[in-house]
Amino acid sequence: MRGYAARRLLVALALIWVVVTFVFLAIHLVPGDPAELLLSQGGVAPDPGAVAELRQKLGLDRPILARYVEYVAGILHGDLGVSLRDEHSVADEIRLRLPRTLELIGVAAVLALVFGLPAGTWAALRAGGHADRALSVLSGIFLSVPVFVLGTIAILVFAQKLRWVSAGGFVAFERDPLQHLMLLAMPAGTIAVGLSAIVFRMTRSSVLEVLGRDYVRAAQAKGLTPRRIVLHHVVRTALIPVVTVLALHLGSLLGGTVLVEFVFNWPGLSGYLVSAVEARDYPEVIGIVLVISVLFVLLNLLVDLLYAVLDPRVRHG
Amino acid sequence: MIPSVSRRSLLAGAAALPFLRIAAARARTPGVLTFGLSSYPPSIQPWANTGTAAGTIKLAIYRGLLSYDAKGVLRGELAESWAAEGTTAWVFKLRNATFHNGDPVTSADVKWTIEQIADPKSSAYFRAEMQGVERVETPDDRTVRFVMKQPSATLPLWMASYHLPIMSRKSTSAQPIGAGPFVLKAQERGVAIELEAFPKYYKPGLPKLKGVRAVAYADENLRVAALQAGDVDLIEYVPWQSMEVISKDPKLNLDTVDGPFMYLVFNASKPPFNDARVRKAVGHAIKREEIVKAAFFGRGSPLAHLPIAEASAFFNAELKDGWNYDPALAKKLLAETGHPNGFSSGLLSTAQYGMHKDTAEIVQQNLAAVGVNLELNLPDWATRVALGNKGQFDLGVMGTATDSNDPDALANLIDDSLSPSYVRSFGLKAPRISALLKAGRAEFDAAKRKAIYKEMETLAIAEAPIVGLAWRSQGYATRKEVTGFKNLPGALTFHSGITLEEASVG
Repeated sequence: MRGYAARRLLVALALIWVVVTFVFLAIHLVPGDPAELLLSQGGVAPDPGAVAELRQKLGLDRPILARYVEYVAGILHGDLGVSLRDEHSVADEIRLRLPRTLELIGVAAVLALVFGLPAGTWAALRAGGHADRALSVLSGIFLSVPVFVLGTIAILVFAQKLRWVSAGGFVAFERDPLQHLMLLAMPAGTIAVGLSAIVFRMTRSSVLEVLGRDYVRAAQAKGLTPRRIVLHHVVRTALIPVVTVLALHLGSLLGGTVLVEFVFNWPGLSGYLVSAVEARDYPEVIGIVLVISVLFVLLNLLVDLLYAVLDPRVRHG
Repeated sequence: MIPSVSRRSLLAGAAALPFLRIAAARARTPGVLTFGLSSYPPSIQPWANTGTAAGTIKLAIYRGLLSYDAKGVLRGELAESWAAEGTTAWVFKLRNATFHNGDPVTSADVKWTIEQIADPKSSAYFRAEMQGVERVETPDDRTVRFVMKQPSATLPLWMASYHLPIMSRKSTSAQPIGAGPFVLKAQERGVAIELEAFPKYYKPGLPKLKGVRAVAYADENLRVAALQAGDVDLIEYVPWQSMEVISKDPKLNLDTVDGPFMYLVFNASKPPFNDARVRKAVGHAIKREEIVKAAFFGRGSPLAHLPIAEASAFFNAELKDGWNYDPALAKKLLAETGHPNGFSSGLLSTAQYGMHKDTAEIVQQNLAAVGVNLELNLPDWATRVALGNKGQFDLGVMGTATDSNDPDALANLIDDSLSPSYVRSFGLKAPRISALLKAGRAEFDAAKRKAIYKEMETLAIAEAPIVGLAWRSQGYATRKEVTGFKNLPGALTFHSGITLEEASVG
């Protein structure tokens, strides 16, 4: 078991190195010069001497290989470098923004489970009925509405018409917990809509599949109460594919909440990544992608561990 | 163990939510104006260009020798008077003003500022211009004398730019010390910047506000929603599609000027656009009203000459329709240059900004009508800038505003002696135009300057170093309670932050 874990860790590290190298090369190969871009803001022509000086100051005039070696050495020392735009520490900025995105995704995932799991189980137990069909149609709608449409409607209704909350934005929790949560509710809710539809569908089909298995019939024959059968025998087994799919979606949300962050002015990691790419802020882009890929790998590890908890065969096999 | 929440208590909690808003969502500090910026400034270094949002902040916390009043007229700022001495020297008399660290603003600080900008290691916007200063003399604490290498009639315009604030010589790059009406209090990177009134500002009674909170709203629709919901008092870059709604809202004010503009740049280093007649043909093939309608929802006006605003003293009414829509003339010019059936070429723009993309699509349609088939290339902005700088395009859509309303600011777009840039045509040869621009810069007599620039524009209509497409409306919107903030005319619209010192919020 320990050897297996060590192997898995090595593979994970190699994977992260490949990602960093790939992103490093890719962002440098894309046209666009960070120094030129910064001084060209607003569509003006910068002085070429000023651009040359800035390139030298930022080290952009040095060969790409030298910069790559230096960057990887920096990572090994835990140094992600500084922004090319304002020399702000990339690690500090990620430390500030990552929790905001994790919070967004976390709350959305909890909401999705709270609504999706019971609804999916309930629908499966009534498969083919009116309620099941209605829920399936509803989940189809939830899945297909783009987040920016939902977000815009939410802003219109809750901020502009009802005036319950501000039109997007962010307030730190320690500054004003209540307002923080109110501002969190809209973006998290918007992400949760699509996510709960996914959880619903997975749960429904998974529960349906498990319901037909022999041991469920055996449990029924033993005279167990339906409640006990569903909770202990059906849902527990049916959860495994649900957890897998949800985890994969959460992983992709790590860098994929950009639309929601944009619509609600939520200063998370995804929006930061996009602005870094637009500005060709190399250290920021690579730093964020590095952190996201590490988290992705960790998330997959976590899922494997969860399997072991949910399925004794994985634990003992 | 999770504490159980009954359905009833959950509902009660939800019902209470609306009443929390007064305390939470709309908390206002009296006398503090909330400014919805279009983006978070990448940096607010005093002398480097880092965009218009940064410019607004710079205008709030720094001051230069000169500035513009609400009508766009030059006025003294840290300097109370200024005058030319001959054609190569300018003398500025400083007034009593105080830096944020409490030190007086002296001629030594001005000299130090100019030296920093002209330094070979500087990345300042006016680096080349300040390298044209031969020396800065400081006969006393209140007098500064600029001795120029070349005759420079336009020095006062540079001194009024927000890229040229006077900084204390005790400033460091981490701790810039300016003399503006507001002091930088806090920065929440990527989110908001907080400014506080500077009590020792040199204009008595100003600033009227206690502070400014500038919050970045990158999404233009959210910026408008935040204004309508009352979260912010003032927004910049009002999206064109929202101008109608805002102007009709009794609780809001809309203030727009035609300042920035769209135009076409050419790759004049190779056929077909190395021929001035082909470039002029393009100018006559465009239906500019369609661009105003499609890209700016009618909020703008056609621009069929060089971007000299109608309000400017240098506007030439008789050249207004220099590149009027005349497809027959366009076809005739194309035939003369050996393209009777038109030709195929590429059009570079960017998909990152709707106005650039929409403009490109109209240009593509209009030129197809005279036989010129353009293939659109719409990469992201960074790539578009790189391709433009390297000359890897045929025809390009651009949008910008000039530095000032003076025609010398046009040099940035059409002077062929400047280095290649995405804002200019690539490989262009227009020596007579650049000679006239140089003459205008050295001419101190207003009437003679006007004549020089008229000749220059006449020449430009014929040679088409660029082709004007459309003025676009640049708007600020405020809640009715905000007074004193003013959108400056024409190209100076991005200098409007200067009026924050006069602004107040009721």
